[in-house]
Amino acid sequence: MSSSVPDPLAPDPDLAVLRGDPELARTFFSETFDHLSSIEARILDLERTPDDPKALNDVFRPFHSLKANAGALGIESVEELAHRVENLLDRARSGEHRLGQAEVEITLAAVDLLTGMMRDVEVRLAGGKGSDFRERRAALIATIDRVAEQAQDTRPSEAPSEDDDQQRTAGNTRAAGVESATSASVKVDTRKLDSLVDLVGELAIVQSMIQQDPQLAGRSNERLYRNLAQLHRITGELQRGSISMRLVPIRHTFQRMSRLVRDLGHKSGKALELVVSGEDTELDRNVVEEISDPLMHMLRNSVDHGIEDPQTRQRNGKPPQGRLSISAYHEGGNVIIAVADDGGGLDTEKLYRRAVAQKLFEPGATPSEADIHALIFRPGFSTASHVTEMSGRGIGMDVVRRNVETLRGRIEIRSRPGQGTTFLIKLPLTLATVEGLIIGVGAERFVLPTFSVRESLRPSPHRVHVVPGEGWMIQVRDDLLPLARLADLFGIEGGAIEPDQAVVVVLEDDMQCLALMVDQLLGKQEIVIKSLGDALVKINGVAGGAILADGRISLILDAGGLIRMQREMSSRAA
Amino acid sequence: MSAGKYLTFALDREEYAVSVLHVREIVKIMDITAVPQLPPYVKGVINLRGKVIPVVDMRLKLGLAARDYSERTCIIVAEVTVRNRAVMMGVIVDAVSDVLSISADDLAAPPDFDISKNGWIEAMATVKGGLKILLNLDKMLGTDGELIRAA
Repeated sequence: MSSSVPDPLAPDPDLAVLRGDPELARTFFSETFDHLSSIEARILDLERTPDDPKALNDVFRPFHSLKANAGALGIESVEELAHRVENLLDRARSGEHRLGQAEVEITLAAVDLLTGMMRDVEVRLAGGKGSDFRERRAALIATIDRVAEQAQDTRPSEAPSEDDDQQRTAGNTRAAGVESATSASVKVDTRKLDSLVDLVGELAIVQSMIQQDPQLAGRSNERLYRNLAQLHRITGELQRGSISMRLVPIRHTFQRMSRLVRDLGHKSGKALELVVSGEDTELDRNVVEEISDPLMHMLRNSVDHGIEDPQTRQRNGKPPQGRLSISAYHEGGNVIIAVADDGGGLDTEKLYRRAVAQKLFEPGATPSEADIHALIFRPGFSTASHVTEMSGRGIGMDVVRRNVETLRGRIEIRSRPGQGTTFLIKLPLTLATVEGLIIGVGAERFVLPTFSVRESLRPSPHRVHVVPGEGWMIQVRDDLLPLARLADLFGIEGGAIEPDQAVVVVLEDDMQCLALMVDQLLGKQEIVIKSLGDALVKINGVAGGAILADGRISLILDAGGLIRMQREMSSRAA
Repeated sequence: MSAGKYLTFALDREEYAVSVLHVREIVKIMDITAVPQLPPYVKGVINLRGKVIPVVDMRLKLGLAARDYSERTCIIVAEVTVRNRAVMMGVIVDAVSDVLSISADDLAAPPDFDISKNGWIEAMATVKGGLKILLNLDKMLGTDGELIRAA
């Protein structure tokens, strides 16, 4: 095979084959990234058990396949690099040389570099300008050569035995015969899947509209009812089935965390151990992608602020290795992802003092432990005495919470001083539907996501007050909450004016509450969320549209937006 | 100014036309859910077979007096370009008339009204003895971005 390095400034001769066949290109990218991911996982295992022949093969084989595929498609840069690493690993596989730290580092570096190069190929294939990888490739190749030379000098004393030869042949045969795994699954373009889910959603809505059609209500045709019931049942199953197709196990994301913790351990000089469980737990594909960054932030945070250095740990009777754990499981209709460390826990005293200094609490107020813990989610509230390279200037945790909330999840903290901290992320199983409370104002109906609703009540007029400078307020048990009419916030005509003819729904978002006055509560429903389309963007107080059972659209309200709107309204009136 | 097939519709006594290339379908007037904080000519959104689509009242958009909706009132579901993306929007009109072929000979440049300065009026056409005002939907509803609120 040639060792010529394609000139990044030349018109991409290495992309000729891929350009000609987009289907082939998609398969190539998909398989290659799978291989790289698989290599990364297995090399970390191999680091712990360098003599395991199966693990060695599991790292060698994907490199071989990757090289072969790239070579067949003319991507010489990838082929060459993969070939070099393959050769290096082959020495270990054949028993010529024991796998050492150097090879592990090279393999990880190669995975990173190849991933970058593959993404670059994707960019160039889409017509973008690529980057120059020549220097990085040359550097890695030089490292490989150096390690290979050193390895020459440390051959084990026995010559390769027959057993080793046989193993190698067996390994090669397997490598040559490698193909798409015999797993019982099929790769599907996610766009097709999303299309299917959308169509099924539409089917469910039409089916619901038929079933609720007033024309059918009057007739008493038993066969018709039976068929409709059957249709309803099948549609429900179809919907659940199609949504479940978007679910993928969280394994891949957790795997990346393994790699991250290993790197964090090296950088921080702290000994770390990561325990992973529940990798098979399934979540919506989008959620799995979006949750990756928050998880990394939290792990960095735990390593930086939670886990103590080995000396401190020993003094406190803890094992020198800091223990991090990530786990995922289903509970109720949710997925819970827990990130825990056995470090020093949150220093509630310190947090409280800082909050008082920043005037976040009234002096003399008695916030609960949960309130104090929740402070770490405020932007810029880090109590770290120095800013570290890893977790930065206290930016991390508020972004984490915002990301989790974008996924319509909640994040809770459990922490004990001296013992450690656990973050619990609670996510809904699906982003496609939400449980909503349907409310009526005038002739219109709206939907409030139930996770934003703290409670609802019939107000008594003597608990409603006008406070100068604040506007309308209402006493709900011990709290005095701002009160606003939804009709006023949205300019709706009609609508109850007197509190005793209305219903009040207490909304909660980000520790703030608003008592919203509406006409009536019309029930609770699991609703399918529809975006309001690309043409209408960001209506304040509106999170999207819902198609209710009768086929009419209701707007889904956004509690946070309404709270802000009420504040603006009252400050303008003041 | 291009020749081709146009869908014509009436508002008051004037006849307007839009290129069929924009028209996805025509539906009868249906329940519209009002959406707050939008310009008055955006009446709200409708449920088109499970898709949520905003609808614009063409009379209000053109500055004509509003009129109650009747049996003949239709929604023209059109595809316009918004920020380089194709977006579906509904346009409420009093009634739709015909699909006509308009040839280059029939076209004349729009007169110098203010409204045509926005590019809303693409051309005037004389067809079958009647004057049709050819509207540019992209300019009226799309790229001018009036429905897009700043985040």
